[in-house]
Amino acid sequence: MIGLLIVVAIVVVLGFMLVGTYNRLVGLRQNANQAFADIDVQLKQRQDLVPNLVETVKGYAAHESGTLEAVTRARNAAASAGSVEDKVAAENVLSGALRQLFAVSEAYPDLKANAGFMQLQGELGDLENKLAAARRYFNNAVSEFNASIQQFPAVLFAAAMGFQQRTFFDLGENRAAAETAPQVKF
Amino acid sequence: MQAVGLQTFIWNNNLRSILLLAGFPVLLLFLLFAVQLVLLGSGFSHASNVYFQEGNPFAYAVGSTIRSLPLAITVAAVWFAIAYFANQTIVDLVTGASPIARKDDPELYNLLENLCISRGMKTPTLRVIESDEMNAFASGVHEGQFSVTVTRGLRERLDRDELEAVLAHELTHIINRDVRTMIIAAVFAGIISLVAQVIARMLWFRGGDRRNGGALVLVGIASAAIAWFLAIVIRMAVSRQREFVADAGSAELTKNPDAMISALHKVAGHAHLDAPEEIRGLFLENREEGLFGLFSTHPPIEARIAALVQYAGGHDTGLAPEPQPQHTPQANPAATPGPWDEPPPAKGPWG
Repeated sequence: MIGLLIVVAIVVVLGFMLVGTYNRLVGLRQNANQAFADIDVQLKQRQDLVPNLVETVKGYAAHESGTLEAVTRARNAAASAGSVEDKVAAENVLSGALRQLFAVSEAYPDLKANAGFMQLQGELGDLENKLAAARRYFNNAVSEFNASIQQFPAVLFAAAMGFQQRTFFDLGENRAAAETAPQVKF
Repeated sequence: MQAVGLQTFIWNNNLRSILLLAGFPVLLLFLLFAVQLVLLGSGFSHASNVYFQEGNPFAYAVGSTIRSLPLAITVAAVWFAIAYFANQTIVDLVTGASPIARKDDPELYNLLENLCISRGMKTPTLRVIESDEMNAFASGVHEGQFSVTVTRGLRERLDRDELEAVLAHELTHIINRDVRTMIIAAVFAGIISLVAQVIARMLWFRGGDRRNGGALVLVGIASAAIAWFLAIVIRMAVSRQREFVADAGSAELTKNPDAMISALHKVAGHAHLDAPEEIRGLFLENREEGLFGLFSTHPPIEARIAALVQYAGGHDTGLAPEPQPQHTPQANPAATPGPWDEPPPAKGPWG
């Protein structure tokens, strides 16, 4: 009788632990999803600014069409990217193209003095700052989630219940450059 | 379970706070038992004579402890109700903070409002205390009464990101209903210390000296003293835990642990505000050295920064030099080696 009670008690305790661990993992996964959604908001805003920027630059620096086309292409690719990995790759290309665009705009004093251009540049700089913070938070959330599904006892059933390792919002070799907002020179 | 990031850190601390708070009723029971022992031993109780001759005084004390429970619960409830309603009045009277509207300081107001929008909550009243010290606190126990107060010194000497981090810290106190938690802790600690003092007074007027009553009284007094000590220690431990959670919540809301770190650096040593103990516990920072920090309402700044670095992935770049020179001559602060002079250990993905 007592033996049976002990077995029941152990089963109940294990059940609670299982439910608790599962709910923890769900919470952490949700946290990472939420963090990625926050990044997505900033990325969308950046994509929305790009056509305006391209139009403005075109008016002053029409023969930089190669750079402008690269930016437009990168922007469209980023807008249509589906999975997290595709998005990260496409947005990194867009970041590079934008850097290139601002680099060539250095050669056009009239463009640099244009009020609309200056405002766009300011908005983009602000967005990059927010992006850097949101990205850092996301990576933190991902590392917490990844660590949690490898902990005991979660490691025993996490994979079976569909908890997969998440990938970081990795910026490849440009990590340091992306962590600090792009330098906007006047 | 071990904390591996911001969320798990917050969960662990919340769990620990609940366990600590659960200790209060246990302590109160323990103290009631001590009261019964003292009553028996000092001959106050009419049962004294009977039970010394033919019974176990400890068993009797357990029985009368259980009988006195309804009274104890009623007293605690009434006390809590009074503290609950008096809280805001006390805060207002003591700190002399005046509410400010959006037009008085649009930048500060917008920072707070944006944080609230991101959490889908009503913006608390914003108040400013005219003081050069740098501090802030959250107050209010229910919706519509919540308010965030900052000092003029804090408003002027922190930059935008740091202000946002401090506001998010206070907002986290509000979201977590920490003011209520701390009132509960204060009420329990108050009742326990009151009862302990009553026991001490009682014995002052009527020493326990009959038969083996002296031993019972001694056990009772020792128990009361332990309960008193533990009540205060638990209360302060809960307070420190809530600060860690609020720091973590700030990093969660602003996504910028670095701003909270640099705000803490700036505030350190400049946060003195005169206020009763109950209110100082709600401050952004409140430093009192005590017995191994057991009686501090706040964890040391270094510990808070270390937690932000470890769990929120913050980078500690140390204290930026003050723009204006200090009035008081002092040793070069940069020369003092601190734990934050070393680069933080690589921990997060960006470490």
